[in-house]
Order: sequence, then C-alpha cells, then structure tokens
Amino acid sequence: MKVFLTGAGGFLGSAITNAAAASGHSVLALYRPCSRIEPPSELVEPVKGDLRQRGDWTEKLAEANCVVHCAAAASGDLATQLTGTVLATENLLAALPEGLQRFVHISSFSVYDFSAPGPFGRLDEESVLEPHPLRRDAYTQTKLIQERMIRAHCNAKDIPLVVLRPGAIYRTAADWDYGRALRAGPFDLIFGPLSSMRLVHVDDCASAVIAAIDAPLERELVINIVGSKPITYWGLYRRARQSGEMLGIPIPVPYMLVRMLGGAAWVASRVFFEGRARLPEWLDLPRQEARWRSLSYSNRRARAELGWHPDRDCAIAD
Amino acid sequence: MTCSPLRTAVIGCGAIAYEHLPFLARSPSALPVALCDQSPAMMAAAAAAFDLKVNLYANAEEMLLAERPDVVHVLTPPQTHSRLVRAALDTDAHVICEKPMTGSADETAALIEAARNAGKLLVESRNLLFNDSIIDLRARIQAGALGDVRECDILLSLDFLAGPFGDLNLNGPSTGLPGGAVQDFLPHLVYLFQALTGSEAADSVMGEYINRSGNRRAGFDFCDVLVRSGPTRGRLRVAADVEPSAFRIAVRGTLASIETDLYNPYIRLEGPPYVGKTYALGQIRGGFGLVKSGADNLRNKVRQHGTMHGMPRMLEAIYTAIREGNEPPITAREMMATAELTDQIVALGQRP
Repeated sequence: MKVFLTGAGGFLGSAITNAAAASGHSVLALYRPCSRIEPPSELVEPVKGDLRQRGDWTEKLAEANCVVHCAAAASGDLATQLTGTVLATENLLAALPEGLQRFVHISSFSVYDFSAPGPFGRLDEESVLEPHPLRRDAYTQTKLIQERMIRAHCNAKDIPLVVLRPGAIYRTAADWDYGRALRAGPFDLIFGPLSSMRLVHVDDCASAVIAAIDAPLERELVINIVGSKPITYWGLYRRARQSGEMLGIPIPVPYMLVRMLGGAAWVASRVFFEGRARLPEWLDLPRQEARWRSLSYSNRRARAELGWHPDRDCAIAD
Repeated sequence: MTCSPLRTAVIGCGAIAYEHLPFLARSPSALPVALCDQSPAMMAAAAAAFDLKVNLYANAEEMLLAERPDVVHVLTPPQTHSRLVRAALDTDAHVICEKPMTGSADETAALIEAARNAGKLLVESRNLLFNDSIIDLRARIQAGALGDVRECDILLSLDFLAGPFGDLNLNGPSTGLPGGAVQDFLPHLVYLFQALTGSEAADSVMGEYINRSGNRRAGFDFCDVLVRSGPTRGRLRVAADVEPSAFRIAVRGTLASIETDLYNPYIRLEGPPYVGKTYALGQIRGGFGLVKSGADNLRNKVRQHGTMHGMPRMLEAIYTAIREGNEPPITAREMMATAELTDQIVALGQRP
C-alpha cells in the first residue's frame, strides 16, 4: 500500500511512520512546514503541508491508495480545535483521490457516552456515542464532528473505512502524570484509584494502525484500541513509585467522593451562576465520568478483526 | 410594546462568530435565519453549538438573495469585508461588521457612503466600549472626577504570534491589512483612546510601527506611538514579546488619574481627597479595592464573564437603534475618526 499519513510529526504519527516503514509500506508522511523532519527509512517520503490550508500536499495525496488520518488539534480553545481538527479534515476529504482503497481514521475513546453503561459496566464498540457533546470538552466535540464527517464521506464515496478509537496513549507513565489527578503541595491526589485506565502503548497503537491498513475489510470497521492487561490509577501510581519516580504523598480519593464534589459544584453553578460556571475537569460531572468512572474495556474485536496483539502492557514501569 | 425580531444572517463562522451567536441565539431582538461560511463543517458546528435551526449557505450573495435578512453580521477576515458589506447593503440589510472594517480610511469612507445611499445602518464592532470597566471609566470622566483629561496610555501585551497570526505553518500573510497583525488589534486601542479623551483627529503621530520578531506572517508585530491631539497626549502600544497578557489603560486628568485592565479588571483611582499627606490612605483604600477586584475576577472566570462580555450589550444597543430608527451607538463620524487615526499610525510602518 502507498499510505498517505497525516499528523506524521505527532506523538502517535511518528510511531505509525516507523511502524509502516518497518512493515514495508511506502509512506507519504505529511508534516507541518515548521516540523523537524527525520524520515526513518527510504520508504518514507516527507510531504510538507498543513491540512488547514489547501496546498501542494493534495498532489501527493493523489498518489496514495490508503489514507491514515492521525492529524487533529488535541489542545487549545474551541476555535483552535475546530480549525485544526474539523476544517483540516474537511480539506482532506475534499482532496481525496478517486478510487481510494482504504481510509483509516484515528478517532478517540472520548467520543463515547461514559454515563451510558450500567454500574461497573463495559464500554465497547457497541456503546453509544456522546449524545450531548456540548457538555463535554472541545476535544470531544471536535472528534465527534470529525468522525461523523469521515463516515458520511466514506459512505457517500464507497470508501472502505476503519475507525480506530485508541484509549489513553502513553510511552511512559509520565504521559498520564503517573495516574495523579491533582497535586496539592506534597500530596498527590489519586481520583477513582480502583478505576481502570484505558492505556495503550504508543507502539502498540501504531501496530494496530498497520494491522488496520492490512486487514481484510468489506466496508466499515469500528475498533477500540486498549492494552490487554488493564491497570488502575492506583496501580499505575504504585508501579511508578516502585520504579523510582520521585512522587509525593499519595491520597486516594474514592470515585463516589469525586462525584459528590462534582454534584456540589453542579448545584453551586445552578444556584450562583445560572448553570454557566466553567468548571475544571475534576469538578465537572460529565468529564469526571469520562476520566474516572469505573468501567471495563475490551480489545477483543481488535484482536479478532485485526489479528492485533499488544505486547507492551507491562512496559510502563520499565 | 413588543416588536417582531429582526431577521438576522451571519457571514463567517470562525472564532468571532462564537461571540456574536450567543446574543443572536438568546435575544428576543434577533431571529437568526441563516449562516454562511466557505466551510460547511465549520458552519454546521456553529449552528449546532447554539442550537440554531437556520439555513446554511456556502455563498454569501446566494444567501442574501434567498433570505433577504434585515441585519447581516459580517465576521469574515478583514480583506473580504468591503465586498460582503456592499453585497449586504445591496439587498437592503443593515450591517454589523467586525473590526477592522477595512484596511484604510478611504475604504471605510466608501462603505459609509454606500450605507448612507442605501439608507441602512453600517456599524463597526467596538465591543470593548461596552465592558464594565470602560463604562465605569467613561462615567467617572463624564462626571468630572478626573478634571480635564490630558493623557491616555493604552498597552496591549499579548503573545498573538503564538496563534494563527504568527503560525508559520500557514501560507501567506496573517491578515490582508497593510498594518499586518497589529492592525487587527489597533482599532480597539484607537477607539478607546478617542472615547476616553474625547479627541478625534490627531495633530501629530510619532513612534515605531515595526516587525520586531522577524515573523514574516505577522507583517507588523509591534507598535509604540505617541499621539497628540490638542491638549491631550496618548501613548498606544501593542507588544507580543512581554508578559503577562494585559490590556492596561491609564487616563490622567487635571484632578486625578485612573487605571484599569480589560483582561483582569480593576479600578485604581488616584486623586482627591487622598493627595499630599493622605496619599498613603488612598493606597490602603486602593489595596482593599484590588482584593475585591481579585475576588470579582475569580468569580467572573467561573461564570465566563470574560473580555468579550460587552459584545451582547453592544449588539443589543445596535439592534435597538435599528428597530427604533435612532442613531447607532457607534456613529459613522466615530468610525471615520478611528479609521483616519489608524491610517496615520499604520503609515509609520510604511515609511522608508
């Protein structure tokens, strides 16, 4: 396959670039013009461009028979994320060549409705998507729009589509702050200490993307990408501590207490701010659920459909 | 008496639309009927964000002919304003245009003339005039608390190069304005100076209008000018290379001086009765005022009462003027005065 990869300079994108080249695909890797480019092999051809604007990158895109869309704005205000995720995707879709054989979209777990499963329930590919995006953050709002646009376009153009929804991608435990929710002086607050983190190592995630390029596919597949051996917030913190990280004094905060704090903040917002208060994630009920609710996750479909076998579950403490 | 709302259309669904649309979605004065943007996805996102059941158009002229709105909000990049304002006026719509309305006073004059010929209102946005602290400052000045105003210093320090204005991943200049990125902000400083001092034309303008960072996309990223207008002096500065972000305004008069900040508002008044030997008492009083401002600002951050909070007040005042056939809160004469002083300042950057 000749793969056009967007977001090649990013955290996941660079891992996909390496994995794609290692598996023999030739890669047209889209980097932002100001990025430092170090192609890992001769199979990788750097393409300079920014999806927020039409440009010469569209000519290179025409050579591809598979697109892996990894580019998105993961931070910034709503306007920044709309431009970096939604407008960028709109430009990409408008430039897709005729006869594209496959589109692999890197979505996110954040698109799910985390309040939908029952107590201690399972969140999988059949779970419902967030029905009220405006109560969530800009990232969720824009990733939902992005996924909807891509699905509509691929359906209309009859392009086979794989939607991958990775969990929390990490290379080291520091990427998720060792499971901490907050630091207060010498204390480390671990919210929902017994809740599972949906971690997946960046190289495992990249290998799932490569498997999605190669897997047999009729029309559309939606697949969650999480590691095989779940770890709790407390477990991650403990492992990091055991491996010598300089951490503070841990204070586990049960999820029920987190919810009570969120409930109190919700009431205060209604009473004092007409429900318009801007709350931090740890006080905002919908975002609390998305981050710390005790749910279980599965990669059964990824293993069955993609033949994917994550093998770095224990690397976090290495 | 109840009036039917004005049918309203918005052209441009970028960041600034998210400041206009909350008013349009909630106000009984407006009935949103259409959005227009080159990007269907951005347009749909804006409609969804405010639960607007409106028609969506990718072409402004098509939208204007199909919808015949009473009011059009032009919220696109500045270089597109002239064409879109004229198109809206041609379909008998009143127009509210984001600042800067044009890149020069000549273009502004031409648009004002076009609006006059069409018998419609054309208003350039000046939302900061409707912020709490500016309303407070103007009330004190009008009440004579400062005596005769002699000086007005305005500093906007903001790292705008970190955003789209300086993003070298994007092609081309950040704005189509002769004064580059600075000119996108400059009208705020100029109209505040004029409103707070009561001056219009400048006798002299001197200073620097340059590119300090070398960022080619920004065009100009620094401005530090002295303005003299009769007995009034002003210093207007835009800087991207100092922290923290601030929009500091100081007005000094023959009796007293007053200072505020639009990003983290406070009011600090220095003058009678706390002068001479009692000056220290004024400082103590000011300290308590600062503590109260800190608490207010914390509350304002939680309730999302930010720097743009004057926008709905301004829009309501404009809609009222349209409905009642009155002079708008921002007049053609004021818009021209701002455009002319902006021209004089921008010209500093174009001298060899």
